[in-house]
Amino acid sequence: MSGHQDLDRWIEQLRQCEPISEPDVKSLCAKAREILVEEGNVQRVDAPVTICGDIHGQFYDLKELFKIGGDVPETNYLFMGDFVDRGYYSVETFLLLLAYKVRYPDRITLIRGNHESRQITQVYGFYDECVRKYGGVNVWRYCTEIFDYLALAALIDGKIFCVHGGLSPSIQSLDQIRMIDRKQEVPHDGPMCDLLWSDPEDANDGWGISPRGAGYLFGSDVAQKFNEDNQIELICRAHQLVMEGFKWHFNETVLTVWSAPNYCYRCGNVAAILELNDKLGRNFIIFEAAPHDLRTGPTKKPQPEYFL
Amino acid sequence: MAAPAQVKSTKAAAAGATDDSGEDALYPIAVLIDELRNEDVQLRLNSIKKLSTIALALGAERTRGELLPFLTDTIYDEDEVLLALAEQLGTFTALVGGSDYVYCLLPPLESLSTVEETVVREKAVDSLRQIAEQHSPENLEKYFVPMIKRLSQGDWFTSRTSACGLYAVAYPRLSAPLKAELRKLFCVLCTDDTPMVRRAAAAKLGEFAKVIEQEFLKSDLIPQFFTLAQDEQDSVRLLAVEACASIAGLLPKDEIEKRLVPSLKSAVEDRSWRVRYMVADKLAELQAALGPELSKTELVPAYQSLLRDGEAEVRTAAAGKLKDFCNSLPTEGREQIILTNIIPCVKELVNDTSQHVKAALATVIMGLAPVLGNEKTVEHLLPLFLTMLKDEVPEVRLNIISNLESVNNVIGVRQLSQSLLPAIIELAEDGKWRVRLAIIEYMPLLASQLGAEFFEEKLTALCLAWLVDSVHAIRDAATKNLRRLVEKFGLEWAKQTVIPKITELSRAQSYLHRLICLQCIRNLADVVGKDASMKLLLPILMTLAVDPVPNVRFNVAKTLREVAPTLDEGARANQVKQALQKLKEDQDQDVVHFADQALHTIY
Repeated sequence: MSGHQDLDRWIEQLRQCEPISEPDVKSLCAKAREILVEEGNVQRVDAPVTICGDIHGQFYDLKELFKIGGDVPETNYLFMGDFVDRGYYSVETFLLLLAYKVRYPDRITLIRGNHESRQITQVYGFYDECVRKYGGVNVWRYCTEIFDYLALAALIDGKIFCVHGGLSPSIQSLDQIRMIDRKQEVPHDGPMCDLLWSDPEDANDGWGISPRGAGYLFGSDVAQKFNEDNQIELICRAHQLVMEGFKWHFNETVLTVWSAPNYCYRCGNVAAILELNDKLGRNFIIFEAAPHDLRTGPTKKPQPEYFL
Repeated sequence: MAAPAQVKSTKAAAAGATDDSGEDALYPIAVLIDELRNEDVQLRLNSIKKLSTIALALGAERTRGELLPFLTDTIYDEDEVLLALAEQLGTFTALVGGSDYVYCLLPPLESLSTVEETVVREKAVDSLRQIAEQHSPENLEKYFVPMIKRLSQGDWFTSRTSACGLYAVAYPRLSAPLKAELRKLFCVLCTDDTPMVRRAAAAKLGEFAKVIEQEFLKSDLIPQFFTLAQDEQDSVRLLAVEACASIAGLLPKDEIEKRLVPSLKSAVEDRSWRVRYMVADKLAELQAALGPELSKTELVPAYQSLLRDGEAEVRTAAAGKLKDFCNSLPTEGREQIILTNIIPCVKELVNDTSQHVKAALATVIMGLAPVLGNEKTVEHLLPLFLTMLKDEVPEVRLNIISNLESVNNVIGVRQLSQSLLPAIIELAEDGKWRVRLAIIEYMPLLASQLGAEFFEEKLTALCLAWLVDSVHAIRDAATKNLRRLVEKFGLEWAKQTVIPKITELSRAQSYLHRLICLQCIRNLADVVGKDASMKLLLPILMTLAVDPVPNVRFNVAKTLREVAPTLDEGARANQVKQALQKLKEDQDQDVVHFADQALHTIY
């Protein structure tokens, strides 16, 4: 029971959207590493669990998500990556999820998204946010080191395969994913890159070139074969904004779940989570962005009075 | 930021005299003073916040001679530091040697009253107002008034703006010639070239009017009020509305009628909606100042015109004042005025194009019922309530429902029930979960107003359905609501209605619903009492203690920890203890953790 006090305090603080101190981040990341290093590349997860897609630093919308889906540890969660970048609160978002992971490792699973990468976070905001909030790069360094330890995929009750992006032409079986040495920066190509970058393509069968410049487009036949070969029912992934929050592909063999409402605070989309009950029964819940008065945004300076 | 030599030397002197224990105590102070000059803003800020400690250690004489001159120089600092300084100095009187020396605080505060940042200036003026009354009459005339004059005639608008706030605090205790001089200076400020200064003057006109003699109020200030009320800037004119209320409070009725009512009328018809909005906003103050007679003859037409204003913002503000305005009308003739003058305007607002207007109206319209009484309410207001209960905007309906209490006392909610129920049911199923949440919170109120039988017939099903809402926050609120209903309707109702539902939930497909079952038990155990807890709730807990999902098992532990005091001794010693000990051997570490925690708490 002892030893949870620090964690409970950090969780409490992060839930208020207040970042924890740099030494605390360091110690949180050290604890997280011990837990994540034990997880497989394809982490085994038991139902019941609630599946969530991209969050992208939208902290107040993550809190909304917990209001909709229930709090940790009461509800089990699986987050399919892209915790950081774009939104204003990547630091608080990732650290809160990580603190939950350390405090309740069996209740929450985090897998890696393409934004959990040193290169990408330097372009899309997480790096700058760390420097701004901590006055240095250490916190970014601790977090990106932890990114390397995140699982690449998850398998729920052996039936539902969860991954951030999609499939890879270099991967036919789950065991091939299990062979990857994941503790590295996301490579520019190859199987590990593809899992985090690929997208389903409704129009064509087979493999296609991805307009993203990384990963591939995979067609219905590819998904079907993968599912049959690995005796899975469904590929569940995130990675692409869908206005309705979730979207089925290929006759319900692939599913996109997106959990960042009003993405980038301007896309006007709703978000979704997928609740799987004890018997893998599905229940989608749609939600909207948190109302404005619940956010404590950056305080605006009052207008100088000579403009009145 | 150059510090005077004598302050600079403090640290060296203190450090050099470490063998002397008295001087030794000064060392931390020297450090604080050093920090006042530190590069780091945060350190300077901390030091300023401990300024009273520094002053106390230095003693009154050195504070006056060294610290204050030094501080007067530091005003080229960051706004944050200046703000803290301005605030601190307001409480410094004792530290500079009491009221005989309080004038020493004027130079730094005078400088702070002229800086560019508004918040700093305002804080400095606040502090000056605080210390003004601590001056002896002689010092007030010798130091304070010359400062007001300097500020009033400053080159930059910032100092003249600050000056406006100081007149009312100094004026009452001055000699007649100085009073005359200040009145003249204030009038100059009222016609200043810069709108910001005129705004400050207009804002302070009311408080100055209160301390000035009647004759001069009429001869000097009221003409200024006219000028400000007709200023070319609407931001000045709207502040004159506020002054109007203050000045009206000081004049007899015929004077108000002659001097102020025309200005007020033109404000109601002002071309800028912001001025009209101000009138609507200050309606209660104006009503109090004008007195019952003038309110009736002058304000009622003004209010009608505000309720029909072309700008939705103005209508919103005016609609929000409905209840207070009508309540404050003189009792005699009130009903007639409301029925003939006000209600026709309100009828239009019920169908307003702006949802904000309707929402504002919906929060206060029920407040008219007690004023009009049963019969008139049924005849004139009930149709309006019913229309609003069917409004397309959920907020409007919600605001009506949340104010049912005031109508209930007059006509009883049952008059409304025909329309109320469809409205409640529709809100209860609204797509937005926050609307559903809001309606849940009114359920206990409705329960007490509608009575058990009616509630049971129409609303119980809704309350139970919320327990399995798709949104967790709703399920959570539903369990708390259930607790309040059981408190109201009693154990028998709980046994017949709630317990069967809880039992059903304990067997639900989804673990999230089984968790809600546990939460119901947590909420109900102490309300239903020991007997029912033991017989009806404990068996459910025992079943769920062996649930296949670990989340359910550790919530059984959490629940047992909370409800243990409501169970009897025997059960605690046997069943509960055994169950928890078994959970402590669970394979899941969270179950072990919470079972352990429960065992620690209970035994």
